[in-house]
Order: sequence, then C-alpha cells, then structure tokens
Amino acid sequence: MNFWLTVFGMLVVTFGSRLAGMLLTVPLPPFWTRFVRFVPIAVFTALIIPSLEGTRGEGLPRLLGAILCGFLAWRTKQLWIGLFAGMVSFWLLRSLGV
Amino acid sequence: MFWRGFRAIMPLYLGVVPFALAYAVTARASGLGILETQALSVLVFAGASQFSAAPLLGAGANGLAIILTTFLLNVRHLLYGIAVARALPNMTLRQRIIGAFFLTDEAFGTFLASGVRDYRFLLGACLSLFVSWNAFTLVGALASSLVPDPVALGIDLVFPLSFLAILMPLLKTKSEWMVAAGSSLMAFVFVPRLPSGLGILVVGVLGSLLGAFLTRDEPVPPIKPEDATREIA
Repeated sequence: MNFWLTVFGMLVVTFGSRLAGMLLTVPLPPFWTRFVRFVPIAVFTALIIPSLEGTRGEGLPRLLGAILCGFLAWRTKQLWIGLFAGMVSFWLLRSLGV
Repeated sequence: MFWRGFRAIMPLYLGVVPFALAYAVTARASGLGILETQALSVLVFAGASQFSAAPLLGAGANGLAIILTTFLLNVRHLLYGIAVARALPNMTLRQRIIGAFFLTDEAFGTFLASGVRDYRFLLGACLSLFVSWNAFTLVGALASSLVPDPVALGIDLVFPLSFLAILMPLLKTKSEWMVAAGSSLMAFVFVPRLPSGLGILVVGVLGSLLGAFLTRDEPVPPIKPEDATREIA
C-alpha cells in the first residue's frame, strides 16, 4: 500500500478513537476498559523484543546497553536518562570489542 | 486561560523532546524523507504509533497491518475522550472535533490533574504538545541528514531503547509485569513467523487480553492523570 494512503488510514483510526470518546455518552464495558489499559505494555514489549538483537552481529553490546537503559528508566522514570545511558554504553562496549 | 494550559505542559517537554528526536532519527534511518517524517507528526500526531510505523513504512510493509496496530495503540484515547467530555459537558461539536484531533496522553493527564474545567485550558495544553512535538520532529529530521551512515552507527538501537525507557515505568503491579513477560514470550514465538507488522498486532491483542483476563476480578481502575502523562503520545 502507498505511503500516503497508509498515513491517511493511521489518521482516521487515531482521530476516530479520540473523537468517538468525545462524542460517546456511555462508558466502555469493564473488560474492554481493562483491555485498553494493557495495550501499551503488550505492544511496546512486542516492538522491543524482536529489534533488540539487530542485524549486524552486535547482539551482546546491544543487549547490555538495553539492560542498563531499562534499569535506569525503571528507577528514574526519565526517558532521556535511559536512552542516553543505553546508547553510550552500547557505543563504548562496541568500541572495546565486546 | 489558553496560555495557562500551554505552560502547564512545558515541564513535560523533558520527555517529549528526546522522544520526538528519537522518532525523527529512527524514521529517517528507516528511509523516510523529511517531508514524510514530518507529515506523520502533523497528521497522525501520536508518538508511539508513529515510532512503530516508521520502520515498517520504510520497509514497505503491509499498510493494513500498520493501520490496525495504530488503531490498537491509540484506542485508549477513547477513554480519555470520555473523561474529557464528562469534565466539559458543554463543549460544542466544533470544540469536540478540534479537541479530539489534538488530544494526547500528556494533554489529557495535565488537564484532568489541573482541576481547571475550561476548554481554553485544554486547547492550550493540546497545542503546547503539538507545537513542541512537531518542532523537535523537524529538528531531529534535519539533524539526521548530517549523520552520513546512521546504520553503521547503530542508530536503529534508538528504537527499542526508547520503547524500553517508556515501558519500564509503566510496570507497577504483578499483572502488568506478567503481561510484559507473557508478551515477550509471544514476541519470540510469533514475530519471526508472521509478516512484519502482523506479529506486533497479534502479540498486542493477545497480551492485552491476558491483562484483562488476569485482572477480571479487580474493580475497573480509574484513569489516573499521572499514568496518562507517563505514557507518551
């Protein structure tokens, strides 16, 4: 599918979700309210796991960088601290030949 | 009142700026041009789904799978819309449409937590995020052009690390950890075996079903503003 057509579809479903809530007068059933609240956790995990290893045989330094990033993000709750520490440690480990 | 809402978002720029930069760098490294990278920020304006769609769009993956994953990621905004409409019951249709286009996790969380019940405050908060998200998308997209070979630099690692840094603070209860663990296992099984994009969608649906099932005996948790501000766009 063409890039712009896909982007248009993304716009429709995103704006549609936001607008439906604004116009809706009844709350969502409890099961689906719970479902929706878990979506970010499930999708983010599904995005992270397959892209950790990479495609150039740098699996170990990438994984170690990710562990540091995850730990710091968990403790500090700051995106930039985790991202910065993870990337720097990955570059360091890679330059050391890990 | 508009500017009060606009300023109320500013402390969150600390999270928005690196996320917007990381998105733009990833999108450019995936082969999207500056115009395409920016268009997603203007038209879709939903960080996590733009971020996850960029590599798939760059690789020419199935558009329908990308759209359905976007829907899955953003359907939680339905809950925000309901809560906003309840807090501001007198909004006109026009205000509902404009508010809906610019509504994000951060604007919703800040609006609800502020206790201010004024549409202008909501709009200020929404546009504050829109302006900063788009400004730093542009900065990141332009800066990426200066990096000669982003792939050799390992820029693709920015993608999983950004999501990891957003995911970790979301894990608080036992069921949330179990959903993350279960989704990891399912990602190992399904993602390599399914067309790109579809695997993410399948794990997203099954993982969320697992969460809803695990918490079936608990009362429905109210939406807490501080949780919404932590989830990024």
